[in-house]
This record gives sequence, structure tokens and C-alpha cells, in this order.
Amino acid sequence: MNIVLRELKANARALVIWSVCMFLCVISGMYKFTAYTSATATGPSINDLLKTMPTSIKALFGFASFDMATMSGYLALLFIYVELVAAIHAALLGAGIIAKEESDKTTEYLMVKPVSRTAIITSKLVAALLNVIVINVVTLVSFLVVVPLYSKGGNASGEILTMILSMFIVQLIFLSLGTVLAAYMRNPKASGSVATGILVTAYFVARITDMSDKLRFLNLISPFKYFDLGRIVAGHGLNLGIVLLSLALVAAFTALTYIFYQKRDLNI
Amino acid sequence: MSVIEIKNLTKYYGKARGVIDVSIDVEQGEIFGFIGPNGAGKSTTIRTLLGLIYPTSGSAKIFGKSCTTNPEVRQEVGYLPSEVFYYDGMRVIDLLRYSASFYRKDCTKRINELAEIMDLDLKRRIDDLSFGNKKKVGIVQGLIHGPKLIILDEPTTGLDPLMQQTFFDLIASENKKGATVFLSSHILREVQKMCERVALIKDGRIIKLERMSALQENNFKRIKVEGLSDLDKTIFDMPGVSKLENGGKTASFLYRGDINNVIRKLAQTEVSNLSIDEPDLEEVFMHYYSKDG
Repeated sequence: MNIVLRELKANARALVIWSVCMFLCVISGMYKFTAYTSATATGPSINDLLKTMPTSIKALFGFASFDMATMSGYLALLFIYVELVAAIHAALLGAGIIAKEESDKTTEYLMVKPVSRTAIITSKLVAALLNVIVINVVTLVSFLVVVPLYSKGGNASGEILTMILSMFIVQLIFLSLGTVLAAYMRNPKASGSVATGILVTAYFVARITDMSDKLRFLNLISPFKYFDLGRIVAGHGLNLGIVLLSLALVAAFTALTYIFYQKRDLNI
Repeated sequence: MSVIEIKNLTKYYGKARGVIDVSIDVEQGEIFGFIGPNGAGKSTTIRTLLGLIYPTSGSAKIFGKSCTTNPEVRQEVGYLPSEVFYYDGMRVIDLLRYSASFYRKDCTKRINELAEIMDLDLKRRIDDLSFGNKKKVGIVQGLIHGPKLIILDEPTTGLDPLMQQTFFDLIASENKKGATVFLSSHILREVQKMCERVALIKDGRIIKLERMSALQENNFKRIKVEGLSDLDKTIFDMPGVSKLENGGKTASFLYRGDINNVIRKLAQTEVSNLSIDEPDLEEVFMHYYSKDG
């Protein structure tokens, strides 16, 4: 419990900053919604322009498959970026919270206390999970508050809830990816960079597979593609099988975090 | 019962040597010295003992238990690392309270007592402290829970001589209260003053494990001779003489063997001054440390 509190305190400032970023991300994203939908005196709406763009370009920016003129279609586009931010936060947090004792050289302080490595990992995971939940809830609330300001009738809160739920699972995947890397790597300091590297790769894989159906098998390596936004927008909810498989992946990464960290020589 | 029990401990970092076949037993209540030059493997031994790293082979136990399988034994261990690092943005008191939260005892009273003894300001931020003051924080945080085993790795670096004395008095009083002390150092003076037994480590191997008194006796004498006129350069060419420094009227050397042989030699010459001393441990140990020794 003392380690959990310590970690929450140590991460508090970063959590506030990330939360503010998340809120700004949502509000500034929504602000542009009007530009997409309404044609003005000076020109056509962005949505009209988009129709003239080649699919591959649209795919690269993430708006290949959605109708930008509808609120839920636009939300799906915005959500891609919001989810990316949340995932980066989770990956960096996961890697950092495990690696920090070694990078700050506090290993010799903490690890000679009468606690097992398993207990230390558990405390750190609990603290990290609470941080991730805060980011998730902040995002949800931001959407629920901001979207009605721009939505002309129609209620998108069902879609928003589903999207944020899927984002939570993606957050968990990247959080556990970060922890397992920090637990495994000889040089845990580098785990943050490696985790972000994997994340960015996964993000671009997600964009590239939008271009062609032949590449769809690559979606397997990109958690950003585990939950079909088209399906969510259409109001079909999440695929339970994929939810379970994703949670299994999180469980596997978490178990490996414990195993690797227990076995390893700590850097001092 | 042995408080520390290290058996045939070998540790390699990949191909790099840590320690090889180290065996040490430390009995309850003793102050045990662990002496060796930098890089000899002192910290490796301690870190394996505390469960920070795993042995390649052999075992290291505290109170009969391994720290990796029984982290609970560390309830009774206080450790001062050679270099101290703490979390950012904490005050001394925050850190000490955090340390105390790991132990079952209430340490508040002891925190204040120790801070008083070590002249440590509890309200200062740790980031602002000098190296020596950080070391003091380390000493206090290693002792707040009244551990039965105190492990010290190069404890005095950064402390001024006055504070070193205070520190050794503190350790001595903990020892009187029943604590076993394991003191690792490359400074022989410290160990000479405190310890009952010592182990010498060099290039990862224990080269000597003996009672302090036995080491000092060991029949070594430091002999300094001053002659009335220049001394015969070959006069001290005899078995048992080492570290001979011979020039002009003076000669000094370490001698091990029957003291009468030296006295007979000295009787053949006119001496103006003569001293026969117990050698420093430093001199005794140099004998083991030197590459050919």
C-alpha cells in the first residue's frame, strides 16, 4: 500500500498534465467539426473536398471509412487520435513505473526493504492502472460534455461509451506492453523508447491496412485495429471474442512482467 | 547461529568476473570486516546477499534464509549502500517515514534520535543536500528500525573526520545492543579499529579470512634502523625481510621470523636509533594485494 501511494504521488503531476492535454485534444478536435460539415459562402465543406481525394491519402489520415458529415463518423476520426494519445501515455507509464527504480538508481534503496519483488510489481501495477483509469474517465467526460455542444440533435453517447471502453482495453494492452519490456530488458531505461517505437509502428500499420483489403492480416499486430470503429459507429458494439482475446494478451504481458522481473539481476 | 552464511558464492556478469568461490560465515554479535581494493567484488557479494542479483552458483543467506525466496528476513537488516540515491522532490523526513512504512515497528522516536546524533536537518529537501549529508540520510534510514544485522558498504566516504567518529561510535553502540555488523571498506584503518575478524578479497577471491589479532601478530614487525655511519647495504639480506628500504644511514623493512636473527645482525653494527613496531594492517595487506603476493 505504501508503494502504491508513493507511485500515485510521484505520477500526480504528470497525470494532471496528460488529463489537461486529453481534454484539449477533445475540445479542439470537436471545434473543427463545423468546418467539416457546413459549406460556407467562400467554399465547399471539407467533407466535399475529401470526396475528391484518393483513398490511399484518406487512409493515411484515418478518414477512409467514415462519413465525416455525421457526428458519429466524425467522432470515429477524432477518436483515432485521442486513442493514440491515451496509448502513448499508457505505454510510457508502464515502462517508466517499472524502470524508474533502476534509472533513478533507487534500486538499492527499495529492494533491500522487506518486500518481495512480486509485491513491488503489484503495487506499481495498481498505481499505473489507477492512472490509466483517470485518463480514460477524463476522456469520456470530455466527450460527453463537449459533443452535445456541436451535435445538432441526435445522441452519440452510446457510441462514445463504446469507443472509450475499447480505448480502455487498448490502454491496458500498451500499459502491459510497457511493463513487460521494462521487466525484460537489460537496459530498462530504454524500455520507454522501445514501447513508443512499437506503438508508432502499430499506429502506422493501422493506417496502412486501411488502404487495401489485402493487408488486413496485418491488423493482427496493431491493437489500434482490434476494435472496428465502423462497427462501433454503426451501433453494433464490441466483439466479445476480441475483447476476451485482448484481455488474454494483457494477462499474458502482465504475467511475463512478474516472471521476468523476479528472475532478473537488477541494475544498480 | 551464523547471521551471514555465504557458501562457495560465484557470480559472473556475462563473462565479466564478479566474485569466485567466496565463503564467509559471520557469527551473531561480531563486527566483521570485508576488505579489498575497488572492483574486487565487495559490492557484488553484498548485493547477492541482499537478493538484488542472483548468484551464478553457490548461496548467500541471512539468518539462514535467502533474501530472494524470503524477502521477510530483510525486516531485520539495515543496509547503507556505497552511493546513496533517493526519489526526487522528497524532504528528509518524507523519505524516512516512507522507509519506516516498510517495517512493522514504529520508528518515529528512533528517527528523531538518530537525526540528532548525526546532526541531520529533517526538514531539508534531499535534492538540496550535499553528498556527505545524503550519506547521513542513508545512515539514519538504515538504522531506524533497529536492525539485528547492519551491512555497511564503504560507509565513511563523504563524511568529515568528526562525523566519521560519530558514525563509528553509533555503530559500536548498535553492536553493544546486539547487532551484528558487516563492514565493507577499502580503508584499512576503519576496519582495524572496529572489527574482530576480517576477510580479504582480491580479484573476486577471498585470499585471507582471519581474526584481526592473528593478522596483526602474524610475526610481522616493522623495523627502522638508523646507523652512526652509513649502513652496510647487504646487512639485511636475510630470509624473512621484505619491503626493504635501504639508503645511507637508515634502513626500514618488514620482518617475519625469529627476532633474534635480526638482533644478532644489529649487534654487528653501531646503531644510533632503532624502532620495532607492529606493522599497520595496510602494510600487512599490501603483502597480499601486490600482484605477486
